[in-house]
Amino acid sequence: MITFTPDEMICVCIARQVVNGEVLAQGINTPLVMAGYILAKLTHAPDVRFASAIGQGIAQDWSPLRVTRVESGWLDKALMHVGFATATADLLPKYQPKEFFRPAQVDAAGNFNNIALRRPAMRLPGTGGIPDVTTYSSHVYLYVPRHSRAIFTPQIDYISGLGHFAGRQRGRGPNYCVTDLGQFDWHDGQMRLLSYHAGVSAAHIQRKTGFALQVAPDVGQTPPPTADELRLLREVIDPLGVRRLETLGGARRKALLRQIIQQERDMDGDV
Amino acid sequence: MAGIVCDLSAACQHVTDGATLALGGMTLYRRPVAFVAALLASPHPPRDLTLLNFTAGFESDLLVGAGCVATVRSVYFGLESFGLAPMFTRLATSGAVRVMDETEASLVYGLRAQMAGVGFMPSTAWQGTDLLRLRPDVQTVTDPYTGETLTAFPAISIDVAVLHGLEADEEGNVKLNQNLGIDLELVYTAQTVICTVERIVPRLQKSADAVIVPAPGVDFIALAPRGASPSSCHPLYAVDGEAIMRYVDACQAGRFDDYLREFLAGDV
Repeated sequence: MITFTPDEMICVCIARQVVNGEVLAQGINTPLVMAGYILAKLTHAPDVRFASAIGQGIAQDWSPLRVTRVESGWLDKALMHVGFATATADLLPKYQPKEFFRPAQVDAAGNFNNIALRRPAMRLPGTGGIPDVTTYSSHVYLYVPRHSRAIFTPQIDYISGLGHFAGRQRGRGPNYCVTDLGQFDWHDGQMRLLSYHAGVSAAHIQRKTGFALQVAPDVGQTPPPTADELRLLREVIDPLGVRRLETLGGARRKALLRQIIQQERDMDGDV
Repeated sequence: MAGIVCDLSAACQHVTDGATLALGGMTLYRRPVAFVAALLASPHPPRDLTLLNFTAGFESDLLVGAGCVATVRSVYFGLESFGLAPMFTRLATSGAVRVMDETEASLVYGLRAQMAGVGFMPSTAWQGTDLLRLRPDVQTVTDPYTGETLTAFPAISIDVAVLHGLEADEEGNVKLNQNLGIDLELVYTAQTVICTVERIVPRLQKSADAVIVPAPGVDFIALAPRGASPSSCHPLYAVDGEAIMRYVDACQAGRFDDYLREFLAGDV
C-alpha cells in the first residue's frame, strides 16, 4: 500500500490542474505550488513555462526546491528578466498565467483576505498583487494547507481577492481550491466539494468549514498519488522536503527549516 | 566623477526626519542591510520615516523595531520561509506603525505616474475589493472613452532610494544582478539615489548576467563588503538562513533591543 502525507496530496492535486502549454505564475515562498508545477512538467505537461517572481522573468527549465539557494536555482533559467514593475504591469496581462494563491480567509463566494484579521487582531504580511490580478484574471486558483473554520468563514474581514460576484467587469472568481482535506470548485458562485482525500469524509470537511458547502453530484475520493508521482516529488523535485514547510507548524517546522538550511550549506557547487 | 564615492556615514546623512525612504532589492535578496545598520548606529537615527519597499524584509524590520518608521508602504512585509517579520507584525497590529496598504499595481502605477510627470495612472486594479475603502486617498476616474470606473493611482514621490549593488566604478556606474525588483524605477524616480556596493573597481565591465545603471543615475556610492548579508547578493553570497533564524528567535523571546545592540556591534 502506498502511504503519503497531506503535502504530497496537495502537490499532486495542483499538478493535475495544470494543462500542457500553460504559463504558471510562481509566487514567493509557495513551495507546494512550485512542487506541483514541476511535477506537472515532469509528467503530463512538458511544455509549461514558469513566470518566476525570483528574477521576474519567464523560464522553461526548472530547479529543485530550495530555501536559501533559490536564486542560484532560478536566476540563470529565465529567458528574460524584466524587473517587477514591467512583470506586473506588462508581462502578466500578456501571458495570463495560472496562479495559485494561499488565502488567510475565504468566503462561500470565493472572496479572500490577505490583509489583516480582526479577532484576534493581526496584521498579515501583505496582499502582493492579489487585489490587482483578481479583478481581471480568469486563471485564479486557491490552496489551503490546513483546512479550518477560521479560514473558510462566512464573513471575511477584508476582501483583497475578488471572488464570484455579478458586478465584476472582467475575469472570474477562483476556479478551484485544494486543501489538506479535499478539492473544491465554485458552482453558481458557491463553493462546492468535488472530492475528499483518502481517510477524510465529506461530513468531516463540512464540520471544518464555516459555511454550508455545495456538494458535486459525482463527489468521491480524490485519486491518491501514484508511486511515480511520489518518487518524483521525494527524490527529484524536492528531496529536502521544502514543501512540508507549508503544512507543519511550531517546533516541527522550525526543526525542518534548520535541517534544510544546514543541508543547503553543505551542498557542493552552490554559492 | 568627483565626489560620488563617499563613506557610509556620510551617505546616511541624506536620510532626514520625515523623509520617504525606499530600499532596493527583494525580500531576502540584495537588501541594503549595511546602510540600515549605519543609519541605526548614527548619533541621531532618523525619525518618522515613511518606508517604501516593493517587498520589505529583515532590514526593514530593524528600522521598524528601532522606532524610526511612522508609515509603511509595501506589498509584502515578511521573511518568506522564515515567517512573519516580527517587529512589523507586532507594531502594525498594535497601530504603533501606520500601514498604507499597497499592492503591486498601486506601487508600479504610482511610480509610472511619477516617471511620466502626471498626477496618476489609471488601472482596473482594486475595483470591487476593499482596498479603496482602506485607502480613501486613492480616487477613481471615469474612462472618458468607455465610461468604465477605474482606479487612479496617485504618483509616488521618494526622497531617498538606497540600493545594494555588486560593483561600482569611480565614474559612478553601478552593477546590479538580475533579481531586480523595482530598483530601476527607484533610480528613475527618487530625488537622491544612494548605492552601497561590494567593491569599487577602476572600470565596470559589461556582463550578460548583470544590469548596469549608468552614471549619473546614482548620486552617492559607498563601499560595503557583504553589505546585503544576511540577505543575499547573488552570485557572491546566498541568504544566511541561520542569521535570520537567530533574529526571529531573539524577537520571539522579546529581545529585539539586545539583538539590535549586538547586531550593530557586529556580534551576531
